[in-house]
Amino acid sequence: MVSRVLIANRGEIAIRILRACRGMGLEAVVAHSEADAGSRAVRMADESICIGPAESARSYLSAASVISAALVSGCDAIHPGYGFLSEDDGFAEMTRAHDLTFIGPSAEVLERFASKAGTRELLAAQGLPVVPGSHGMLRDDAHALEEAERVGYPLLIKPSAGGGGKGMRLARTPRELQQALTVCRSEARAAFGDDSLYLEKWLEQTRHVEVQVLIDNYGNGVHIGERDCSVQRRHQKIIEEAPSPAIGDATRVQLAESAVKAAVAAGYQNVGTLEFLVDREGQHYFIEINARIQVEHPVSEMLSGIDIVAEQIRLASGEELGYGQDAVRLRGHAIEFRINAEDVRADFQPQAGMVEHYVPPGGAGIRMETHLYSGYDVPPYYDSLLGKLIVWGPDREAAVARSRVALQELVVEGIETNIPFHRAILEDESFLSGGFDTNLLDRKGAAAFLRAVTTEDQA
Amino acid sequence: MSDDPVGQVPASADEEPRNGLEALTDEVLPALIARLRASRLGELEVRSGDWRIRLRRDVNAHHSRAVGGTTGAGGQTGTGAAELLGSVARSPAVGYFTPSPDLALGASVQAGDPLGSIDVLGIAQDVTAPDNGIVSRVLAEDGQAVEYGQALADIDPLEADLETDAADAAVAG
Repeated sequence: MVSRVLIANRGEIAIRILRACRGMGLEAVVAHSEADAGSRAVRMADESICIGPAESARSYLSAASVISAALVSGCDAIHPGYGFLSEDDGFAEMTRAHDLTFIGPSAEVLERFASKAGTRELLAAQGLPVVPGSHGMLRDDAHALEEAERVGYPLLIKPSAGGGGKGMRLARTPRELQQALTVCRSEARAAFGDDSLYLEKWLEQTRHVEVQVLIDNYGNGVHIGERDCSVQRRHQKIIEEAPSPAIGDATRVQLAESAVKAAVAAGYQNVGTLEFLVDREGQHYFIEINARIQVEHPVSEMLSGIDIVAEQIRLASGEELGYGQDAVRLRGHAIEFRINAEDVRADFQPQAGMVEHYVPPGGAGIRMETHLYSGYDVPPYYDSLLGKLIVWGPDREAAVARSRVALQELVVEGIETNIPFHRAILEDESFLSGGFDTNLLDRKGAAAFLRAVTTEDQA
Repeated sequence: MSDDPVGQVPASADEEPRNGLEALTDEVLPALIARLRASRLGELEVRSGDWRIRLRRDVNAHHSRAVGGTTGAGGQTGTGAAELLGSVARSPAVGYFTPSPDLALGASVQAGDPLGSIDVLGIAQDVTAPDNGIVSRVLAEDGQAVEYGQALADIDPLEADLETDAADAAVAG
């Protein structure tokens, strides 16, 4: 078991990891940038160490600085949190080369699951359904039309060399496909120097559902159920909940069990999340693995009572999981609200500045994970996440009712936040019925919610 | 990393050289005392060949420079006397500190001069003098673990200070 952990992250997750370490009787050292010298994590820590200037590239993203900090402060492990260096196999390898334990999957595992396309192949080979598409690259128009017939319309035409949605085109008919192919080829050649294209089925009105898994280094694994992350704005998750209101119990069990089985068989280790798209018929398609602790992990903790960060540290130390699936009991319903420093009326622009006043909500089933305090100066250098409100109730209705109360109690003054936006979503029919998809907010338009927000403010 | 020994300059009396010194005390010592008085230095050391002279003033009697003036973990927030009077050479990285042979009390340095290096996983990063001046305090020892931004040496701007110090001395005297 590791004994002294360098926490190489900031904000709420640094505090989350610090608490897990303390609960396990481990020592922890908080690594921080100059801009975070006054952060709550640093104030709470027994020890802290400054690793660089505000700029992430020279602090939280600097592998050499983080490892050097671990060595000079006498740590034997590094917890990277999420983002930053958390899924960097090169960093994991460097950590091991300096005889430090990387709290996460090993460098080999990270490398094996580094490419999305490679990961899909690995898990498809283990029986997970993936989004249907063409076999390999399109040779010519005739081949494309043939493959399109087989896969079915509507289709996405994707450049092989692209990424992040760049250069994609939607085709709903063979005619649209033929027209788009020519344009796509020349665009891909110009943008990536490679005009190979492939086809993927376009799934409309899908939900984003992910399965949390814990797998030790000896092939033992369990899942902690699924989380539904379908409330998104421009592909950014805002609200996550479990269980998913969109899938029935039979699908739920089948999805989670097939996910953990495939991940174990494909050689995945440690804490991870398998992401799926689920269509209206309940068909699910595997997309990718997140090989890290995720922002929304507390949702699963609320249902299971399992401390996922503690388990992550234990598994990374080489311990056996020590229990089976039947020991994992999921109870009730949990919803997480991401509290962001952003101005909802100014196109959700990130905000920085002094939090004059902060009052957390309380009561049964209420959990607040945050680095906020009254007088905290939110630096402009990092992402806008201020914290997470997680609410548990015996069922979804009860959790929603408690969420309304908690979001009314929660006070963050001095800086614009998306708290009013959350309050508005809790009054939305689509959200309340559970029948929404990932495009809910973008399709309805933030405007509809903003009107609700404005009305609420005036009331 | 907050409890590093700050401002510990090895200087025990039994190390003070004596041989061959008498011949020079008549001319050297008075000059050095004048120099120390005119500056804001707390300590002054002169080496020549195999002997050295170190003078130390009673800091409490004159300047109230906060000894151990680095505050908290960062050390970069040290304000007050030290900041106002001179500049501070800080660590450019987190790692182990090795002072350069020239980094000594009373040493005259130019902006950009190397004062030592920080070993970051075997790669040395230079610590440089932020300004021209005189090294008035060395704040980290050879081999000490230091964090980014940690104060390693105080540099006093000697020339610029001479006049005002002389004026102060005249008033005080």
